[in-house]
Amino acid sequence: MAIDWLAIAPEVALTVTALLVLAADLALRGDAKQLVNPLAMIGTVVAIVFAVVLWAEAPRVAFEGQYVVDSFAVAFKLLFLGTLLAILAISARYFAEGRYFQGEYYFLLLTAFIGMLLMPSARDLLVLFIALETVSVPAFVMVGMRKRDLYSSEAALKFFLIGVLSAALMLFGMSMVYGFTGTTRLEGIAQALAGDAGSVPLLLGSVMLVIVGFGFKISAVPFHFWAPDTYAGSPLPVAAMLAVASKAAGFAGLLTIAFVAFEPVADVWAPVLGVLAILTMTLGNLVALQQRDLIRLLAYSSIAQAGYMLIPFGLARPGAEVVNQAAVRAVLFYLIAYAVMNVGAFAVAIGVNRRTGERSIRDYAGLGTRSPLLALAMTVFLLSLGGAPLTVGLWAKFAIIEAVAVEVTVFGLVMASFLVVNSVIAFFYYLRVIREIWFEPAAAEAPRLQPALSLSVVVVVLMVGTILLGVLPGLVADPTVVTTFATGG
Amino acid sequence: MTAHDLVFVIVGLVTAVSAILVVTSRHLMHAALYLALTLTGIGGVFLVLGAGFIALVQVVVYVGAVAVLFLFGLMLTRAPIGREALDSQNRGLGLAVAGALFVLLAALIIPAFGGESTAEVTGPTIEAIGIAIFADWVLPFEVLSMLLLAALIGAILLARREAGESGTEAEVTRIEMGEALADEPDRHEAVGTSAPAGELGAGGGR
Amino acid sequence: MDQPLWVPIFQTLVVFVYFLLVTAVLIWAERRVVARMQHRVGPNRVGPFGALQTLVDGAKMFFKEDPTPGMVNNPVYTIAPLVGVIAGFLSIAVIPLGFDVTLFGETFPLVVADLNVGVLWILAMGSIHVYSVFLAGWSSNSPYPLLGGIRSSAQMVSYEIAQGLAVASVVVYAGSLRISDIIAGQQTSTLIEGMPGWYAIPLFPAFLVFVIGMVAEAGRPPFDLAEAEGELVGGFHTEYSGMRFGMFMLAEFMNVVTMSAIVVTLFLGGPNGPTFGLPDAIAWVLPILWFSLKMIGFIFFFILLRGALPRYRYDRLMSLGWKVLIPIALVWVLVTAGFVLLAEEGIATTVRLVLAGAAGLLVLALLVTAGPARLAGASDRPKRAPIPTPAPDRAPASRHVERDREEVAP
Repeated sequence: MAIDWLAIAPEVALTVTALLVLAADLALRGDAKQLVNPLAMIGTVVAIVFAVVLWAEAPRVAFEGQYVVDSFAVAFKLLFLGTLLAILAISARYFAEGRYFQGEYYFLLLTAFIGMLLMPSARDLLVLFIALETVSVPAFVMVGMRKRDLYSSEAALKFFLIGVLSAALMLFGMSMVYGFTGTTRLEGIAQALAGDAGSVPLLLGSVMLVIVGFGFKISAVPFHFWAPDTYAGSPLPVAAMLAVASKAAGFAGLLTIAFVAFEPVADVWAPVLGVLAILTMTLGNLVALQQRDLIRLLAYSSIAQAGYMLIPFGLARPGAEVVNQAAVRAVLFYLIAYAVMNVGAFAVAIGVNRRTGERSIRDYAGLGTRSPLLALAMTVFLLSLGGAPLTVGLWAKFAIIEAVAVEVTVFGLVMASFLVVNSVIAFFYYLRVIREIWFEPAAAEAPRLQPALSLSVVVVVLMVGTILLGVLPGLVADPTVVTTFATGG
Repeated sequence: MTAHDLVFVIVGLVTAVSAILVVTSRHLMHAALYLALTLTGIGGVFLVLGAGFIALVQVVVYVGAVAVLFLFGLMLTRAPIGREALDSQNRGLGLAVAGALFVLLAALIIPAFGGESTAEVTGPTIEAIGIAIFADWVLPFEVLSMLLLAALIGAILLARREAGESGTEAEVTRIEMGEALADEPDRHEAVGTSAPAGELGAGGGR
Repeated sequence: MDQPLWVPIFQTLVVFVYFLLVTAVLIWAERRVVARMQHRVGPNRVGPFGALQTLVDGAKMFFKEDPTPGMVNNPVYTIAPLVGVIAGFLSIAVIPLGFDVTLFGETFPLVVADLNVGVLWILAMGSIHVYSVFLAGWSSNSPYPLLGGIRSSAQMVSYEIAQGLAVASVVVYAGSLRISDIIAGQQTSTLIEGMPGWYAIPLFPAFLVFVIGMVAEAGRPPFDLAEAEGELVGGFHTEYSGMRFGMFMLAEFMNVVTMSAIVVTLFLGGPNGPTFGLPDAIAWVLPILWFSLKMIGFIFFFILLRGALPRYRYDRLMSLGWKVLIPIALVWVLVTAGFVLLAEEGIATTVRLVLAGAAGLLVLALLVTAGPARLAGASDRPKRAPIPTPAPDRAPASRHVERDREEVAP
């Protein structure tokens, strides 16, 4: 069997890099271990190059239809790799100074991203599940890396237990789906569901179980407990990874499985996900109002954002090609925007917290005088998360409204109105942080901040990106318009 | 009822009863032993289905390795304490949830599969399994090897206790309620460059 | 099945009685041989050369009082020795004593069950045997047995991996998991004309790993740390007495016989051997004879090991297993797979031999350089030689006398 190496070139590049990182960590001693960070970056850049090549080559079908590289998948791969590059940059000094297990950290990070790269391409339940676990398992460990910190251990344990539970539910659902349809290929499942099987209650239950498994990954509301504690307890770059990349991977998997495999029964899962969307954004925002810890605030904010991103799922209908395509694109565009602004926000949090150990919102007082760059960047990111004009956040929300408007339904309007109300609530807490940054005097002993060069570069690039995409959303929106699912052979 | 069915019923009963005992046993070690019995029973179910290879792999891997490691972990940590009672406050709740789940699944599965007589089952040949793993499913198989490597590295990372070269952490942060850092303003000066270990001290909104 | 019912029963009986007899002889032989090595006489009262001593001891154990200590965890305490004996008995079920036999008008092979996954069966029973030792140690609810149980479970699980990998190269080379196929594959050599094709030669590293692993798996000296009487009284069976103790003894010696039978089957051609053109009516005896001779050779090896080597240190034992044996076995699986793959590609035998030889040298280099270095690194005394040579001041004699006594009168 010939293997289409180009189709999996980005994954192979990351795999090789991960193994090299591991070997380098074994060989290097002392401060030289920091060199694994640039090594990982080089590997990521190589993977990005391959992904860009693949953009022109798409769609490709590999491994007898288990694995499809279409424009949808490549868009996600580029999103993941870009995020990886940013996370590597913001990790460098944090891990070098903390003297954690550097080599192991970078290895685990790269492995998790291998799983993410697989996710949007997977057209088979088995591949999808293994990709999901490849994202989760390294993350369990990375969260608990600060072993002597009991918060970190608590975070890891919570994350692990809930992760394992949801994986078990999902696997059970998948086994039922397989038992019924006799295939693990997403296309085959769709065909079976379109036929008689679509009306069997057990099968619909199984479909819901699979979707629930992804609900954990994206921290949608009944499965969101872990997120704030886990983000707060894990090393900050890992929190950024969980909040952005891992969540995006969950959405990639959910999009694939929902719109490729379970599309014929969309009328069953769409209302459920729609209600979850409303619950998720409302609860996330209301709880975020109460937070005094910036990381927990970002955690609840990311839960709320997941709620916004679930809205397009609520619009799906079986057979409605136009509506479904619009929904997929809206989610994709929102994810890209979300990645840019949220990685940025975490980067600033690392810049502030790295040396001083502060993370209470009150401690951001006077950031404007202590580090104008970080203060300005944080302001931009928070405004964008809120959806202010001239930032990409506005267009992201607009993309969702646009998806709602493709075919107006009552439920769609309800969800859209919740989106608007929630955006207003969200502005409260984002603006509160911004007020602290600019209008409150700094504590007397608070030192000036000197963020690392790599971190500053990331912050500046993301800040420029947020504004640039806010002015010219077409830069990303136009390519995503052409993204489509290719069918596996 | 053929002899085949009879064997299946016996194996199934042993498996199910020991599975129930796993969760109801109040003795941790006994629960682990029942787990081993359950896993053996699942091997027996595979055997009844004609999949001898998978049955024995199940025994070698789950009974011979996984369950032994369970027991091993228990012995090293808690088992020497003796007849320690496992007593969860949530037994009633657990029973309710498990019962509800059972009824739900039974209500869904029996109408879905019940009354359907399947043809004579013959397990896959070893060749078929080999080709399935190493040719048809080579991509997930290879990804799985990376996943297992990551799990291995992660386990070592979490288990390693001595202050290794790259595993040194400056300081232990305990969970403290309230604003611990405010009481110790110069803690971070003392720690110097290894501040992240202390960053959680001011765990704001808890 | 068109066979009459007595055939399977007869098969089973023959095989089990054969192995039980060998076990009984082994117990006697061990005591005689070790005694000879230590300038003693050994049992010489009952029967010619004391050959019936085992029988008498067995009868004694059967009638001894068998008290159950108050602190033990019944029924686990009672089940534990049974598990060991049963697993030992079951694992010989797949090993053929000889080829087809024609008796009373029926032709049948001398094996209880020739499973198509026979190799796995052996491994599975080995892993169940772990439970016996382990549960005995735990359920005794007493410190020394617990330590013995923990030690031996860790030891067995570790060496099972090495052994499993060694067996994997046999399976890859033979292309089958069925024991009879593996034996058939060793009938004649594919490399050198007219030589027996024992897998021990092409798979020598795997053979070596398996032999070391089987000593550890059987818990025999020098790897008998589970019952190191100098440190743990009697290890996992300290609290046992009477027939329940007897069952542990039986299981241990059965294990020696089983392991010898397995290694002969997998690596030394099993019942294969010359038949000298004898008529079929007599020729069926010869394979049984060859098999027995080879097996007795290994049993003797076990006995000599016990008489000659002092006990290994525990951390060294684990280092040897994880850092030397497992890597070697793993590399050899790869080499074997490559060899077989090249054969399928139609590469000439000589080329493959050269490649395999180079790979063999590589493994040897690994063994010579990396192994000891890592072993030394693992121990707290870095400069010491990896494989402990019997130090003159630790003459094994006295220890073994002690052990001998313990076996006679537990």
